[in-house]
Amino acid sequence: MRPGTRLRLVLRDLASGCAFASMAVSGQLPVWTLALYGVALLCALAGRRLFAKRARVTALLLLGVAVVLGLNVLNGALNIVVAACAFAGLISGHRLLSAPDAATDGQVHLSGLLMVAGGAALSGEIIYGLFLVAFGVLASMALALGVVEAAVPEGEPVPVRSVMPPLATGVGFAVAGAVAFFILFPRLNWNMTGPRASPGFGEPTTGFSNTVRLGGAGTIKGNPRVVLRATLNPDPGVEALNAYWIGRTYDVFDGQEWTTAGGVRHAREAMLTLRPGGDSLVHQRMELLPAYGGRTLIALETPSRLGNAFLNSTTGSRRTFLQELSGGEVRVLEAGLGYSYEAYSLPPEKGSGDSFRGLPPIEQDALLTLPETVDPRVAQTAARVLNGEREPLAAAQKLAQWLQREYAYTLELSGDVEDPLADFLFTRKAGHCEHFATALTLMLRTQGIRARLATGFFGGERINDGYILRAGDAHAWTHVLVPGRGFVTVDATPPAHRPSQGSRFLERLLALYEAVESRWRNSVVDYSFRDQLDVARAFMRPTREPESPTARGRLPPPRAWGVALVAGMGVYLVWRALERLSRRARPLEATRFLDAVEAQLAAARVPRRDGEALEELHARLAREGHRLSPVIAPVTQRYLEARFGGRPLRSGEAERLLRTLKHALEEARAPSAPRARAS
Amino acid sequence: MTRRLKQRWARLRAWLRPPRSLKVTRVGRTYLVVTFGVGLGALNTGNNLLYLLLGMLLSMVVVSGVLSERCLRDLTVRRVGTDAAFAGEPFAFRWAVSRKRGHAFALTLSEADTPLSGEGGVGYLRAGAEHVVRANLTAPRRGPVALTGVRVTTTWPLGLFAKTRVLALPGSLLVYPRRGYACRDPGEAVRGPVGDAGNPRRNDGTGDVTGLRELAEGEDARRVHWLKSASLGKLLRVEREREERRTWVLSVEPGLEGAPLEHRIEEVAALAHRLLEEGHDVGLDTGARTLRPASGAAQERHILRALAWLGFEDPRGDEEAA
Repeated sequence: MRPGTRLRLVLRDLASGCAFASMAVSGQLPVWTLALYGVALLCALAGRRLFAKRARVTALLLLGVAVVLGLNVLNGALNIVVAACAFAGLISGHRLLSAPDAATDGQVHLSGLLMVAGGAALSGEIIYGLFLVAFGVLASMALALGVVEAAVPEGEPVPVRSVMPPLATGVGFAVAGAVAFFILFPRLNWNMTGPRASPGFGEPTTGFSNTVRLGGAGTIKGNPRVVLRATLNPDPGVEALNAYWIGRTYDVFDGQEWTTAGGVRHAREAMLTLRPGGDSLVHQRMELLPAYGGRTLIALETPSRLGNAFLNSTTGSRRTFLQELSGGEVRVLEAGLGYSYEAYSLPPEKGSGDSFRGLPPIEQDALLTLPETVDPRVAQTAARVLNGEREPLAAAQKLAQWLQREYAYTLELSGDVEDPLADFLFTRKAGHCEHFATALTLMLRTQGIRARLATGFFGGERINDGYILRAGDAHAWTHVLVPGRGFVTVDATPPAHRPSQGSRFLERLLALYEAVESRWRNSVVDYSFRDQLDVARAFMRPTREPESPTARGRLPPPRAWGVALVAGMGVYLVWRALERLSRRARPLEATRFLDAVEAQLAAARVPRRDGEALEELHARLAREGHRLSPVIAPVTQRYLEARFGGRPLRSGEAERLLRTLKHALEEARAPSAPRARAS
Repeated sequence: MTRRLKQRWARLRAWLRPPRSLKVTRVGRTYLVVTFGVGLGALNTGNNLLYLLLGMLLSMVVVSGVLSERCLRDLTVRRVGTDAAFAGEPFAFRWAVSRKRGHAFALTLSEADTPLSGEGGVGYLRAGAEHVVRANLTAPRRGPVALTGVRVTTTWPLGLFAKTRVLALPGSLLVYPRRGYACRDPGEAVRGPVGDAGNPRRNDGTGDVTGLRELAEGEDARRVHWLKSASLGKLLRVEREREERRTWVLSVEPGLEGAPLEHRIEEVAALAHRLLEEGHDVGLDTGARTLRPASGAAQERHILRALAWLGFEDPRGDEEAA
């Protein structure tokens, strides 16, 4: 096997691998197909074509696989698109292991194309884009090497190094062309499918249950996975939002865990209004990612309305409905991989606006309920710290400050103990946010101040135009009922330990990925006809931002630089073309004259040898005593003088000479008429 | 259709031929079908990733066209030709192809608008260097073949399309008669004082002694080397450089046409080859043309050329033959 051939096959196999990976990133392919294809690819890369001599027998295996996939589809265990993609992958794997000939190469590339098309149907991840480009590059290189190899005579080496540079340029242009096509091709269907979701890697790591249990074990605070994206309007514009994003509240504590009194309040609504809003509501466009793993909607504290929910699944997005449960929890009715919805929240500095009388009776009772086994030292300690303070908010803040000052934050959980609160307050004197929030809530209740526990997220890290929350941002805090303001947030957890406690490096890495993925989603997956109109509008009528005094001296916007760059490149290309045109050697007057003479001689069928110049023709005719020799002599002489002798043809001279030559040639061709004889 | 009409038709076709021709290869057809399918899928579903894939597939087509065009631009081809072309069997043919600047890849060269089949290829053509492309061409029948141009085809870069350019390069190739085996006997040799054989009445060969061998039954005893025979005790005969040299004049009977003519020409060619190989003098008489008997490779070439032209217009000169 020639060295170029080996390289070509490796590139071909890698291209197929990239195509398969573009489907596999969706996480929907059956695991056994991943394993089979992986083995096939590894064998192929190692040069072991196991099916080379058993093509027909092994084709029966494919038939068996097709039957298995078909049965899975009929049982409803597998989506038909997923089954088709998996089968394409297995066909490709089979071809990889077959004898490498021209037909096999074509089949591998064809199955690769089908796989990337299948990947587009299964996944909207940015990794798909990377695999698509990798497939395009590798497959192009393999095809080009194959084309050159076919033209190289047997025994000669394939000029791999010479092939690569022009091919790389071509592929670069192809990718640029693909982007241009993508931007400019009119979207006639307004992107009806919307964003898609795939399960992603790993199990969902957060979510909301019906209880909060103290103790146990876990590492949720250190998990950097992004679980939520939000776009706010008005946009605060800050890098770290440090806001409370509430999921639900709990009001009953039995000494071990928090639960909620009450049941379902609204069963099926498209838009839920939790409390009256106003003109200053903060609008949020939220997206719960597959890593979130729950159905409880999250919104900025304090939510007023939630609705317009869409369920994102592997097959697309569809509208879904909401239900309201006790504890202010709003859930999506159906389970999906992810959800997108809109929320409106009251400004953070205001309270919830709830009044004690407006709460359901069961919740009113629960706000002061203490567990039967509560340690009496809790009330004594609260009374000692408050020292007669009875105003709810001031008391809560006083207790929170005391807790932050006197107690340490730790992620090492206590395990199962009989009284977790007493263990936190009087034994370990260290805990995490749930301990702090529980302690504050119960200490307030022992003093007759109504309070409840709230869970959700704390933080908000800016990525592009929105904010993200990580699994490690999950948090718990306290709601204190303040007359006239409703529930007000008081957080007993030390401020430094409220947001995610994970590795900074991992968080930055994921933030970078999220930024790129966000761009990908906005610019590619969700690109629509509206975006095309915006692009066109931006070029035709650039939007003018109001000038501020500080903006006067700033540089032009990036768009202006881009347009200038494109225009500059256009001018440069035109200049290059013109320069090339001007450099092209123009035929001299003498050369044109020679061309005309030679055309006349050819038309007159003057015998001429191959490559015989005009002067050589004249010399030969003169030697032979040809009758055209005297006619051609002056023409030849003038051509030579004009071309090499520095005596250019005068105006009209060429036409005159050509006319004379033409007449002479015509006379020479005409049959000689019998002469009249004088009698 | 007469030959003149055929030539005019060939000229007209050459004049009407577009500067480039494009043909979709088998892989290219599959590629286009998949592209069409992806396009339909993109339009039908609105899936932007399918639009992206479609854009990539279409821009590959465009890039393929541009790169193949760059390969075919600025090419210069000249015919190096062949040593001898016999009808019905492959013969080595060469073109010298070069490019002033820029590289070219995967070029396939063949003769345009001729009955010659076969092509040669070059994988990589370096800028400024002349590359000799070799091909095994096959001509179906003898006679002069008018060459109008060289067809240069490339499937670079992806093998999806075969783009072809025909470079006008007039010329001619004389195809000798098909080589075969002569069943018929050449007939009686012409005897007479012709050639450089000396006395034609002595048929014991001429030239230096090349060896001795035992006298066979019925052989002429005058060839016995008596001195060596006496020393070895058995009859040894002399072998000379040119044994039994005789003179034949082969003829193609006038009035033959079509298949009988071709058959006779091939037979004469085979006879001439055999006789000349044996060292005899061979002449040719075709009625319209006569070649004096002579020996050697040059004489065989003259005979083949005369036979190749038989039935066609007279050759205008030796330089027209390949």
